[in-house]
Amino acid sequence: MSDEPKTISTNEQTSPAERKTAPIWIFALALILLFGGGVYFDQYSGWFNPQVYSPYENTDQLEAWQPKSGEAAVMAHGKQLYESVCGTCHNADGSGKPGQAPPLAGSEWVNAKSPNDVISIPLDGLSGEIHVKGETWNASMAAMGAGLSDSDLAAVISYVRTSWGNKGKPVMPDDVKAIRAKVAGKPPINGEQGLKALEK
Amino acid sequence: MKNGFSIFIAAVLLLGISWCAFVLAPVIQLGDEKQTVMINSTDIYPVQRTGAATLGLQVYRANGCAACHTEQIQQNGMACDLIVTSLGKNSSALQKVLAGSLSDSFLTTNDLPKTIRHGISMEIASSMSDKITAAGGKAEVHVYATGADIERGWGLRRSVAEDFLWDSPVQLGANRIGPDLADVGARLGDLNWQLQHLYAPQMFVKGSVMPPFRYLFVKQKKGAVPSADALQIPPGWPKDLQPPGGYEIVPTEDAKNLAAYLLSLRAEVPLHDAPYTPAVAAPTEKSK
Amino acid sequence: MNENVPASFADVKLEASCRVPLLALFGGAAVWLVVSSALALIASLNFHMPEKFAHCAWLTYGRVFPAANDALLYGFCVPAGIGVAIWILSQLGRAPLRDPLVPVFAANLWHLGVLVGLIEILSGNTTGFDWLEFQRGGSVLLFFAYLLLAAWAMMVFTARRERALQPPHWFLIAALFWFPWVYATANLFLVAWPVRGIAQSVIALWFANNFIFVWLSLIGLGTAFYFFPRLIGRPLQAVHYALFAFWSLILFGTFCGIPHTAPVPAWMPTLSSVGGGMFVVLLLTVTIVEVRTVWGFIKSKWDNGPFCFIGSGADCFVISLLMMIALACPAFDRTAGFTWFTQAQLQLQIYGFFAMTMFGAIYYLLPRAVDLKFPFPKLVAAHYWMSLIGIVLLVLPLAIGGIEQGLKLDNAKIAFPEIMNLSLMYLRVSTVGICFILIGNLLFALNVFVMTCVWKMALLKKILPAINAPLETSEVKS
Repeated sequence: MSDEPKTISTNEQTSPAERKTAPIWIFALALILLFGGGVYFDQYSGWFNPQVYSPYENTDQLEAWQPKSGEAAVMAHGKQLYESVCGTCHNADGSGKPGQAPPLAGSEWVNAKSPNDVISIPLDGLSGEIHVKGETWNASMAAMGAGLSDSDLAAVISYVRTSWGNKGKPVMPDDVKAIRAKVAGKPPINGEQGLKALEK
Repeated sequence: MKNGFSIFIAAVLLLGISWCAFVLAPVIQLGDEKQTVMINSTDIYPVQRTGAATLGLQVYRANGCAACHTEQIQQNGMACDLIVTSLGKNSSALQKVLAGSLSDSFLTTNDLPKTIRHGISMEIASSMSDKITAAGGKAEVHVYATGADIERGWGLRRSVAEDFLWDSPVQLGANRIGPDLADVGARLGDLNWQLQHLYAPQMFVKGSVMPPFRYLFVKQKKGAVPSADALQIPPGWPKDLQPPGGYEIVPTEDAKNLAAYLLSLRAEVPLHDAPYTPAVAAPTEKSK
Repeated sequence: MNENVPASFADVKLEASCRVPLLALFGGAAVWLVVSSALALIASLNFHMPEKFAHCAWLTYGRVFPAANDALLYGFCVPAGIGVAIWILSQLGRAPLRDPLVPVFAANLWHLGVLVGLIEILSGNTTGFDWLEFQRGGSVLLFFAYLLLAAWAMMVFTARRERALQPPHWFLIAALFWFPWVYATANLFLVAWPVRGIAQSVIALWFANNFIFVWLSLIGLGTAFYFFPRLIGRPLQAVHYALFAFWSLILFGTFCGIPHTAPVPAWMPTLSSVGGGMFVVLLLTVTIVEVRTVWGFIKSKWDNGPFCFIGSGADCFVISLLMMIALACPAFDRTAGFTWFTQAQLQLQIYGFFAMTMFGAIYYLLPRAVDLKFPFPKLVAAHYWMSLIGIVLLVLPLAIGGIEQGLKLDNAKIAFPEIMNLSLMYLRVSTVGICFILIGNLLFALNVFVMTCVWKMALLKKILPAINAPLETSEVKS
């Protein structure tokens, strides 16, 4: 350790002969790596979406893998939603409340071949006259279903159309989607006339 | 010096980028996360832990359990099961569709519901399910998570941010010296087992390297009536684990809270960001 | 040293200005170093005789292990790093350290903070975040002690008489600023006003990476880039690569640290991996600088002392960097992320790279600053070999065992207890490694301690006559 050079000379850490910038290859390598990193990030990051976790790569893939549950699960889900959203007026057994909400069990509107009416009512609301099981009702209903997602509302309506002796066919989220686009921005349906007008 | 100052500013900016990415962005994105709804249910997740379990998290922290245990289920991928639930009326057409995927003979109504394909992709499962529906039958596609952790029975899906919503501090852990605990409450849900295991882990797993947490238990004189919460020590255990005559081993509050916390670890419900098909009551033919 | 080197008067003054603060910083650091390896040994023994610690809360693995880590990181690495940085800044700028009593006070405050923090951990009062276990009591002391030390280091820097900026300047100054930023962020968001849910873990992981990887690398590389030229006697070669290494370290290194195993949205680990992939640039540039500077001098400068320590530290850095690049690959991270492999990388980074570099620097600069020789020069070589063997025995089994553990964890058919028992074999070897490291650390502490004692005795000898002498004499003189 005694033969080491003295500090003042070695304090000049850089020799003036050295080039001041790094050679081009290291920049090129950095750029290539950065490009590769960008491609990798684009593929796997889900672009900052907080819902995307690996092994899912993006939201499309995540949606594709959402369980399209069997009928039983849809019905269970629909039942739960019905009881919390619709059941307060229409009753848990679909019998309705006198003077307030018409029955759904056995209703010709619910059992109709086309589900369009029974989808548009909760999406857009209803006010005005409507005949249900021989009685005339003149109550109004807010757009209770507008806040539900397509699949949730489809589950509710499927549940209504297949429960309490009803013999309608289940509806698909796509049906709801189509009607939702149709009624978007329109005022609440004006009774039976409004429903007929909507069909056109 | 001017040169030095600009270098300094540049360096601060570059360091600031990483601060924005991994401090600011996560706080904005995940810091005010809300509870979510489980798949196929209106139940809210996660539910806040009970008081004892919340205190137990602090015991978990204080004793550094996270040094050996993770709370992060890994998931490598996902796959589908195809389950036939109904054969419908036109069963010969259906059997034709099914013939390709069944090695053995005909499906009969008694076999239902029957898993006819396991571990297939969502695309294949949906197209097969559509074919079965077209032939008048009914089929369900069940999604499940795959990976070694899930095969080990440590959980049903990967861990996600929601699982830790109520925890402070979040105890992720980094090394699996012991098994993963993210879902231990569902796997080993017996309070008594948890306490016994804390007291003498080697009695359950031979050669376990887990330190016995005897300092979370006290030895006390038996009263006229044995304490209700006294640790039940199986008579087969060695003598040095048994309390001396007239004494009993009682878990402290810390031990009880820790066990309550372990039982509350149940990160297993299906969520939108970690989906799988939850087990529902076996689908039955609709009675008309 | 003092008798055969005709040092200039200015040099002696420079060195002397740093003397007392450096003794305070390094003396405490040496104590914590020994404490840390003793705690690490206890932690490791927990695996081999779990029953022995069953009744003692203070010695349970979950408390002793983080305590050992923090004693090494906060007790040794930070004070040693700041001490070496102050000395290098003073040498580079030919400027003395002013008001040395303030940094002496700060150094003692720092060591008090570490003591408080360690007692907090062992008594169960931890924050629960890896590498940030010190609770408020310890961390507040540490933070203010650091601010004082860094302020004095910056004063040396701004008072420099040689204005030109050298590569070590870049690394050391950036490090001085980065630590309080990172440490304050972590403590404010995790301890003082904890954020909610998993965001805590992201910040904790970010903190650990920026402290253990970025901060230690900045100080360690700055030190190595200063000492290689000085020990060899010719300027740093390939300086432009050194600057490239600097920029890639602070631009990409700061992004690492979020593993693919973490339960966070995919963009975070993906971004981390992109940063980790860019380490290839860092690896190449650092290797080029070191090889081109050192090549051809290894034999002639081999001294079993400072040069060997710093050289081995640089080698460990390259290996640790390779391990980090491997962990940035998603597939490997998912396999090895929850195993001893990550521990191996951390130990290599902290002890193999940083502590070894610091040992070399301290063995070189302390005799000059104190103006005394080390009392046991032969123990320096012994320390070197003990540490080197210790690192190999500690890191290699953990790395290999970690990969095997990861591969077996990936195979659900292998029962978990079987994997655990398999790791035990590797842990036995690493326990032996810790013993070697403990002995090496004891030798280091012995040299520093005895040297401090000798210096204090000499001081006393000078002061005693002055105390006993009648007061008038001094008045007469003036």
